[in-house]
Amino acid sequence: MTPDFVAQILAYGIIMGALYGLASVGFTLVFGVMRVLNVAHGAFMMIGGYLSFWGFTLYHIDPFVSLLLVGPSLFLIGLIFYIVQVFPVIKFTDDHDKINTSLLISFGLSVVLENVALLLWTGDIRSITGTYTENVFEIFKIRIPLVGIVGIGLAVLFVFALYLFLIKTRFGKSIRATAADWKAASLMGINTNRVYLISFALGVALAGIAGTLICVIHSIDPYIGLFWTLKGMIIITVAGVGNIRGVLACGLLLGIVESLSVFIAGASYREVAGLIILVIVLMVKPKGLFTTKVRGV
Amino acid sequence: MLEINRIDVYYGDLQAIWDVSLSIPEGEMVTLIGANGAGKSTVLKTIVGWLRPARGTIRFDGLRLDNQPTWKVVEKGICLVPEGRGLFHGMTVLENLEMGAFIPRARKAESEAIKKIFEVFPILKGRRNQPAETLSGGEQQMLAIGRGLMSQPRLMLLDEVSLGLAPLITENIFEVIKQINKSGVTVCFVEQNAVLALELASLAYVFEGGRIVKQGEAKALRKDKGIQDAYLGTE
Repeated sequence: MTPDFVAQILAYGIIMGALYGLASVGFTLVFGVMRVLNVAHGAFMMIGGYLSFWGFTLYHIDPFVSLLLVGPSLFLIGLIFYIVQVFPVIKFTDDHDKINTSLLISFGLSVVLENVALLLWTGDIRSITGTYTENVFEIFKIRIPLVGIVGIGLAVLFVFALYLFLIKTRFGKSIRATAADWKAASLMGINTNRVYLISFALGVALAGIAGTLICVIHSIDPYIGLFWTLKGMIIITVAGVGNIRGVLACGLLLGIVESLSVFIAGASYREVAGLIILVIVLMVKPKGLFTTKVRGV
Repeated sequence: MLEINRIDVYYGDLQAIWDVSLSIPEGEMVTLIGANGAGKSTVLKTIVGWLRPARGTIRFDGLRLDNQPTWKVVEKGICLVPEGRGLFHGMTVLENLEMGAFIPRARKAESEAIKKIFEVFPILKGRRNQPAETLSGGEQQMLAIGRGLMSQPRLMLLDEVSLGLAPLITENIFEVIKQINKSGVTVCFVEQNAVLALELASLAYVFEGGRIVKQGEAKALRKDKGIQDAYLGTE
């Protein structure tokens, strides 16, 4: 148990954690803005991963370049699913109803997406491995895979891009206003339906981007959706709903804790780490670690 | 300016107002008075588009309003200062005001408008970087009114401005509302305090059980025996 060893564990934990953060950001955006629990979030990640996989194996598109395709494609898919499935749910004015109904609908959606993936890509586990995916850097005796560094970079990039979008841009402010009080937002002349539509599509697009990263760093199969959705649920609860930067921080926290727990307790207890954190946070600070008086992002 | 013609409005299956017709002429200060639950606020919510009338029409300068979404109603020049104020908690006073100037027409005049509102409500200027929820009731009401003005409205709707406020503060706020009306903004306000309402308004509609039971010039209604007995406490 040398310091180098611990540092190595932490390094892997940070890479994993950054991925967790990116994977959960879209989830918290959608839930924070419209109280819709999109259980199919993980399934959309899976679809994004598969699209990158296709791009890579069929057309030799570098997976990180394919983000330029995956992002907009999943955004479009998100638009369509919002109109078809989510829009009717938004009509419910009671948050409780919205959450329950969206849970049911998106669960069904995730099953459909799983089977679509099964049809298109078979149940084989897929991954993207290429010329540089095996590259590993060695810094201070810690081995860090190149794709891990890129993953961290992308996670930070997208989380802060979203954060700045919500804080600085006009439309971003209208999203925050709608999340705070949709009726008051409508009185400002904000087209709240359009806000919901764009927010949902953005959430799905972010899911797709995270999926690409997962395909490169790990692997994907049609059934990974549930795993990532559950991770997302833990992270957004621990962070506090709607807090964008908090989600990245909590993702990192979870990644590091899991990594340490694997070393301490063994790989079979990895998932327990997250659940223990969840229970502790719910007991001590149920609104989430990063909720302050200022409601926003 | 605003014509409401024979509307029925429901909350789900519950009918709230029956066969209501009223008109708000340009430049006037109109009040809707009546007891709690009589349907006054429902009218404002329907004008602004939160509710749709099951029957009847609403027209603004001749154009149909009752089939428009709220954001379009606001673009056309109507603003509502809702019951409970509807401030964005978590945003500062300044951010709330900026949010009020969201529509393109208001965006251009944003900095001028903020300056003016700070002149009218100096307290807001002092608290401009404070979160909205840290303001007192009266200050929050001022902020809500200021935010409504940011959208450069031609018609301003106010719902129960006096609720929860001390009489002196209410007086001050209504003084400001009078000034707003004098500066050219048509005002329609719902008010439980009938005495105050009839003192300030030029026209009044009296609501009872979801219908209009009396209407006319405020001056005349002040002297009306029935109104005096029911609302003005003279006995």
